[in-house]
Parts: sequence; C-alpha cells; structure tokens
Amino acid sequence: MSLLETRGITVRFGGNTAVDDVSLTMAEGEITGLIGPNGAGKTTMFNTVTGLQRPASGRVLLDGTDITSLSPAKRARRGMARTFQRLELFLSLSVRDNVRVAGDVLRATARKRFDLDEETDRILERTGLTDIAGRDVSDVPIGRARVVEVARALMTSPRVLLLDEPASGQTEQETERFAEMLKGLAGDGLAICLVEHDLPLVMGLCSRIHVLDYGSLIASGTPQEIQESPEVIAAYIGTEEAT
Amino acid sequence: MTTFLTYTVLGLVLGAVYSIAASGLVLTYNTSGIFNFAHGAQAMFGTFLYWHFTQVWNWPTWLGLIAVIGVAGPVMGAALHALIMKGLRGTADVTKIIVTVAVLLGTVYLAQWIWNPDEARTIDMFFGAGAKVTLAGVTVRYHEIVCLVAAVAIAALLRVLFTRSRAGVVMRGSVDDPDLLRLNGHDPERAAMLSWALGSTLAVLAGVLVVPISGGAMDANMLTLLVIDAFAAAMFGRLRSLPRTFAGAMVLGLTVTYVLAYLPSAGTFTGNLRVSLPMIILFVVLVVLPQDRLRGAAVRTRERYRVPSVRSAAVWGAVLIAVVYLYSLLLPDAGVTAFALGMTFAIVALSLTVLTGYAGELNLAPLSFGAIGTIVAFHFGVTGEGLAARLNVQGVLLGVLVAAVVGGLVALPALRLRGLYLALATMAFGVFLSNMVLRDTTEHEWFGQRFTIFPDGSLVIPPLKAGPLDLRDGTAFLMTATVLFALLGIGLAALRNSGYGRRLAAMKDSPAATAMLGQSLVRLKLSVFMISAGIAGLGGVLMSSAHGTVSQETFTITGSLALLMLVVVAGIGYISGALFGGLIAGVGSAVLVSTFNDLALEHESMSSLYTAVGQLVLVGTALVGMGVGRNPSGFVHDVAEAYRSLRAAKPVLYGGGAAGAVLYVLALTDVIGTWTFAIAALCVLMLLPVIGKSVLEEKGRRETPLELLGIDEPYTDELRARLDRELGLPATVRKGGAGVPA
Repeated sequence: MSLLETRGITVRFGGNTAVDDVSLTMAEGEITGLIGPNGAGKTTMFNTVTGLQRPASGRVLLDGTDITSLSPAKRARRGMARTFQRLELFLSLSVRDNVRVAGDVLRATARKRFDLDEETDRILERTGLTDIAGRDVSDVPIGRARVVEVARALMTSPRVLLLDEPASGQTEQETERFAEMLKGLAGDGLAICLVEHDLPLVMGLCSRIHVLDYGSLIASGTPQEIQESPEVIAAYIGTEEAT
Repeated sequence: MTTFLTYTVLGLVLGAVYSIAASGLVLTYNTSGIFNFAHGAQAMFGTFLYWHFTQVWNWPTWLGLIAVIGVAGPVMGAALHALIMKGLRGTADVTKIIVTVAVLLGTVYLAQWIWNPDEARTIDMFFGAGAKVTLAGVTVRYHEIVCLVAAVAIAALLRVLFTRSRAGVVMRGSVDDPDLLRLNGHDPERAAMLSWALGSTLAVLAGVLVVPISGGAMDANMLTLLVIDAFAAAMFGRLRSLPRTFAGAMVLGLTVTYVLAYLPSAGTFTGNLRVSLPMIILFVVLVVLPQDRLRGAAVRTRERYRVPSVRSAAVWGAVLIAVVYLYSLLLPDAGVTAFALGMTFAIVALSLTVLTGYAGELNLAPLSFGAIGTIVAFHFGVTGEGLAARLNVQGVLLGVLVAAVVGGLVALPALRLRGLYLALATMAFGVFLSNMVLRDTTEHEWFGQRFTIFPDGSLVIPPLKAGPLDLRDGTAFLMTATVLFALLGIGLAALRNSGYGRRLAAMKDSPAATAMLGQSLVRLKLSVFMISAGIAGLGGVLMSSAHGTVSQETFTITGSLALLMLVVVAGIGYISGALFGGLIAGVGSAVLVSTFNDLALEHESMSSLYTAVGQLVLVGTALVGMGVGRNPSGFVHDVAEAYRSLRAAKPVLYGGGAAGAVLYVLALTDVIGTWTFAIAALCVLMLLPVIGKSVLEEKGRRETPLELLGIDEPYTDELRARLDRELGLPATVRKGGAGVPA
C-alpha cells in the first residue's frame, strides 16, 4: 500500500523540462531511494512533492488524497517532512531550539498537547544529538548539521520523510550510525525517501529504488534489479553512442 | 473628443517619464539585487543640479543637460556602487534596504543644505512653453515630444543592451551568480557599476523631464517620492520585465491624468487623490500579483544577535528606570520634556525591533501607525477643555487597537510576497496617509456623524491622565514613558524566548524550512505585523502627547525613515538598539542641530560655520546609516560583545562604576555641567572595554600550542568545525567569513 504517490509529474523552468512525466510511489515502513546523476531532477521532484514547486502537470497524492494544490505548510500538517540539500537550518537558534521550534509550530497549528521539552529531548536522544544540544547551530560540523535537519523533521511527527542527500559531508562512522537510525525509523512505520549519491548506502538501505536521468524515470525496482538494469548502467557510466 | 485626446497625450507623456524612472529602478535591481529606495532622491539631486547650472550659473540648456545627464548622473551612480553598494553582498535584505534609505536621507539633507527649501525654484520646458505643434486639434508641446521620444528611445536601447550585447548579458547574470561570472572571466562588479551609473542617469533624466510637466515648480519631496510612482510602474513587470514596466508606466500615467481631468475638482480632495493615486494602484497590483516561490536563505547573512533572557531584560529594565530618573534630576525642565519625547520615539522603535529584528520583515512608515493611533485617541479619548483637557486610557487603548487593525489591513496584500514588497507597501501607505488623511481638513459625514479628521491641519493632544497619575508634569511623563519602555522591552524578551518568538526567528532564517514544519507564513507575518503596528500606535499617541500639537509634518515619511535607519545603526535585533536609536531620532539630532543654530544666533560672526556644522550632523547621521553594511548587527552589538569580555576583569568594571558615580555627584552638586557629565559618562562607557582588554591581555599570556611541545592534539568537533569554516563549507560561514554561499 503506497502512502505517497506522484502521477505524471512534469516541471518546466522556462523552456527546460526539469522533470518529465514522473510517477513514483513510497510505502509505509519502507525506505525508497531516488538516485540519478547531477541535474537529473531529484531535488526538483522533492520540491514538487513538498509544494515548494508547482508542477506544470501531474498530481501528488498522500494517502489517496490529492494534495497537488495544497501549500507546503498544509502538506507538512498532513505528515510530510523533509530536509534540504543546501542546509536550511535556523542559524540564530541553538541545536536544541532548531528541533524544538518544530514542536512549537505543531503546538500552535495542530493545537496538540504534549510535553515539548520531553519530546525534544527524546528526539535529540534518538538522533544522537544530545551532546551538542546547547551549541549554536552555525558551529556544528556539516555532517552533524544534516542530522539536526533530520531531527527537526522528525519533531513534526511525520508519516513521510524526504531526505535530500543526508549523508554528504558525514564521516564513515556517522553514515553508519545514520543508516541504523533510518532503519529504526522505517521500522516504526515511517515512509522514507532518500536522495543520495552514496550508492552503497542507498543499495544497502532501500527496498525500492527509482532512477532519474534528464528528468525522466528510467528505472524502478529492487537494488538488485537496478544494479543489473542496462539503462541505469548507461546513464551512470555512459554508452558508446552517448560518448 | 479633442479634450480626451489632449488628456491622452498628457497621460502618455507622464507615462513616458514614469517609464524612464521605472526602467532605471528595474535595471539596478536586476543587476545588483538591491532595490534602490534612493532612486527618486538621485533624480531630485540631479534636477537641482540642473537648475543650479542653468539658472544660477546661466549655462545654456544643452550644456546643463550634458553636465547632469552625461556627467553628474553616471558619476553619482558609479560612486554609489563603488563606495557603498559593492559592500552589501552577503547581507540581509533588510540591511540592503536600510542602506539605500540612508542614501535617500543623506541626499535629501544635503540638497536642503545647499538649496534652501523655503525658496521657490522653477524649471522651464525645453524650447519654452510656447513651442508647440497642433495635430488633429491637439496641441503638443515640444517638451512633451522630447519626453515621448526619450522614453521610446530608452526602451529600445535597453532592449538591445540586454538581449544583444555582451555587457547586457553579463549584467543579467551578475545578480544570480556572480561567482560563476567571475569564473567565466567576467567582472560582475564592473557590470553592477555600469548598471548603477545607467540607473542613476535615467533617474536624473526623469527628474529633469518631469518637473516642467507637473507645473514647473521644484519640490524636493515630490521628486524624491518619484521612486514610488516608478515602483508602481515597475510592479506591473514584477520588478523584472522591462517591456511590462513600460506598459505599466503608461497605464499609470493615463490613469493619473484621466482622474485629474474627469473627477469633479472638489478642491483639495482630487489634488490629494492625484498625488496618492500611484500608491493606490500599487496596492491593487500587489493584491493581483501571483504568489512568490518560497525561498530558503540562499545567502548566509552576516547579521548576528544575542537573545537576552527575561530575567536579564528585567534587571536591565530596572537599571534603565533608575538611570533615567537619576539623570532627569540633572536636567532643566525643557531637557526633561525633550528626553520624554525621545523615550516615546524609543517606544515606537520597539515596534521595529519585534518586526525587523525578530521576524525579519520591514515597516518603512512606523510613524504613520503612530499617526493612526493619535487620530483615534484625539477623537475618542480626550476629555475636558483647554488646559484641563486630558487624554484617557481608553482612548489610548482604542488607538493601539485601531493601529494594529490598520497595520494588518495594510500588510495583508503584501504578505504573500517577498519582504521587499511589504516594505514598499508600508512606504506607499505612509505617503498615502500624509497626503490623503493628514491633509484632510474638510468635514465628513459618516453614519449621521459629522467629523473632521484633521481640523485646521493640526491636532492638540493633551497629556495622559490615568487615575491619580497625571502626565502634565514633565518628570512624571518621562518616568511613565521609561517604565512603559522597560515593560514592553521585558515583554518582547519574553516573546522572543517563547515558542512564538522561536517561530519568528525560524521564519526570518529560512522561510522555506519554516513552511515545511507546517507553519503558515502569512498568518505568522500578519500577527507580528499587527503587534508591531500596535506598539507603534502606542508610541505614536505618547509621542504626539509629548509634542503637544502635531501636524502632517510630525509624521512624514522622512521622519519614519530616519527613525528606522537610526535603530538599524544602533542594532535592530536589540531592545537597547531601539532605546538608543529612538532617543537619537527623537532628541539627539534635534537637540544637536538646534544647539548649533542657537550658537549661530549668539555668535553672528561664526553663524555660517555653526549652521554648517548643524547641517553636517544631519548628513553625518545618514553617512553612518550608509556604513551599516560594514557592521550590520549594529553598534549596540559591538558594545555588548566588548562588555561580555570584560566579565573576567571585575576591577575594571568596578572602577568604571566608581568613576560614573563620582561624575554624577559632581554634576548633582553643580561642580560640572550637565553636558560635561553626559560627555564624560559616555567616554567612561566607551573606554572601559578598551582598558579592560589591555588588562586582560597582560593577565593571560598566550598558551603554547600542544604540537610544539611534541604532544598530539586530539581531533575534536571544534577543530573540525573550524576547518569547515576555513574551507567555507555551509552552515558554518559566520560573521566576517567569506561570503561563500552553501
């Protein structure tokens, strides 16, 4: 059962088609990978799914409901959360407040009652940020700053989590810990979509992978199928005709 | 029919001038990313120069034109770029706007200094007003033909420049990605400088052309506000498209002319409407414009503010009340009154702290919301007559409420758009208010009630009386305003530390990420703008009451802009920034300038020198504002940082405190004068960090690095962060770091 679905998404910037008729699905409790060379349209796809970018055509469905015309904020309130490839941390807040502010929004918009401090501590603990909670977020190294973005997204108690290159800038140990954490989150029923260039990480984590090239979906399937797909190999390595 | 054609031609001519001004604005905005609020001021300055050359020095028209359009215009633009605008990369939009506002103010002050605003000046049409041709019954003057031809020629030239020439393509790229341009062997700075020179030239040309067709009389204010007309035109093209800007200018010119021609000329109303029409059109366009794409913080800005805890805000509030009280004992009655006025300005300034400092949005007309509060309080809150008249608390509260509601209404159309649009909407509102409302001396009838908004063009606002507290007494007024400021300050600190405050900070840092947390940005901006307008309303009522009598001149847009600029210079993110900025705006410059004027009257031989010094103070403040790009966090930030490092040098602090106390006792016993005390106290305040630093340096010798002792230093997170910073990796670029975008 797919929780998030896109149907025939096309995005144009002026005369360029950045994303061309892309349909994907993401399921509850599953980690989906979205890979492709630079400029393939991965981030544009994320922006379209989260509402930061209007598609020229196509639809986005969350849990069977059409959300194509909803604002980013409304989509977030329905359980969508993301991180950014170019970090979008709140630089005037501490690490802890970066996470806590997501709870502030939740309390103000959803009128949800919960212990904000306790919940913040829980998320910080789970993401392994407790030791740097008090620091200025601008002093945090980039690998861990990416984890802060994930923690902030988790604080909104999402159902779908979109991660845009979360492992870039992380050390090997950090990536390992990060992968474990993602597995745990998926185990709790979260639908996770990962845009990532670290192919071993993607292959090890994801149960389904979609491959974009020049805005088009060229392959979808299990890691095994993707690694054997001739189109994917052509896109990544290049073929005789292409060169 | 002939009348209609005549008005159409007039409308097109006006549109032509608007299009010249507007295309200059669009040009600089698109090549440097800076929206030039000083565009109209540059037009004004160039036009006054032209007048000076042709009327005072009697140069022939052609020589005057070459001098201003060929030389003064480009030089002015290039100099602005080289000296000021170039340094603004990597600063927040707010800082960019404030710097151009400072240029606007500086240019206006300078023009008023050189050309006495009380003298009347006129510029004639080219070839004289009599030179005309008649076509199909419509008389067209040569000057008007010049306007039309110039506009068409400029539109065509700009089109060719941008689409065909290499320089134009570089210009277009220089705002999007200057680094990429540099890698390709172009110089983005040269392209930006060229566009500033061109933009400034177009402004000057528009100024020289527009004066004769709008009556011939030169009005510095009107010319300066040409930027708003130009902006309304540029809005049609979303500040991007030149052809649409051109079309927008024509629509604007025609509308303005038809309104003037066909509305019943019921005295002042139509005249006021004519002046306000561009702003009304501006609001309409704002409502119609499609929503902007949400953007993240593409550029890491250099502004940094520390947030005080509620407890420390309360302590500082108490300190402020004590210091103000002690200082008021030294002052004569007039001094206390002036001080109280300054304190009310500081309250208005707090409205900017919450809006701009906390939420990153801009209001260019804080005093206009003060005016709204004042009008409401005057009509609904004054009891008694003559000297016994008093303002009651209900009136003040109602004024605050109405100011907040009006604030919400003004902001609402612009909230879906980028911060710049909100800034422009507030400026347009400010100008609209002083043209339409504050000049409205006619009687209206609404719902059977007869009333006049601004009887006789001025309002008498009596002092406030709340229960036993009567503010007729100067000290009582000063202390009440101070206590109010302190309470509001503590309230704002509490607000900033609350969940609401964190949401504001998040929105300021990254709108896109905040929206992705589920926050509706429009709602958040609306609420904070209403809070801000309410505070401005409160400060405005008190300010009016401190003035006693207020008129349109009390609430001019220049006054608002000067206040905003000074608060930003002092530190827009700090409550103390509002205090200093407000005090300087309210009393500082007024006292300084009038002091020099008094000196000029007393010592006649030196009068010109003293008047010049007085003017220099005004221009100087504007110059300080232009420098804000270098230190965008404000001077309060630097002072606070300096004192923070002093914590380790307690003796220095105690010594400073003792020196202050001694000075105060000396002043209280009249051994030294009030001015001497003020200056000496300021010196102590400024010197302490310097002394402290030298003491601290002696104490702590520099440690020898571990690796020099042969020990391996463990590789910590700190070191990694430092390495990231040195390499300019994202999330770590800090104040003063290389402005490398993530």
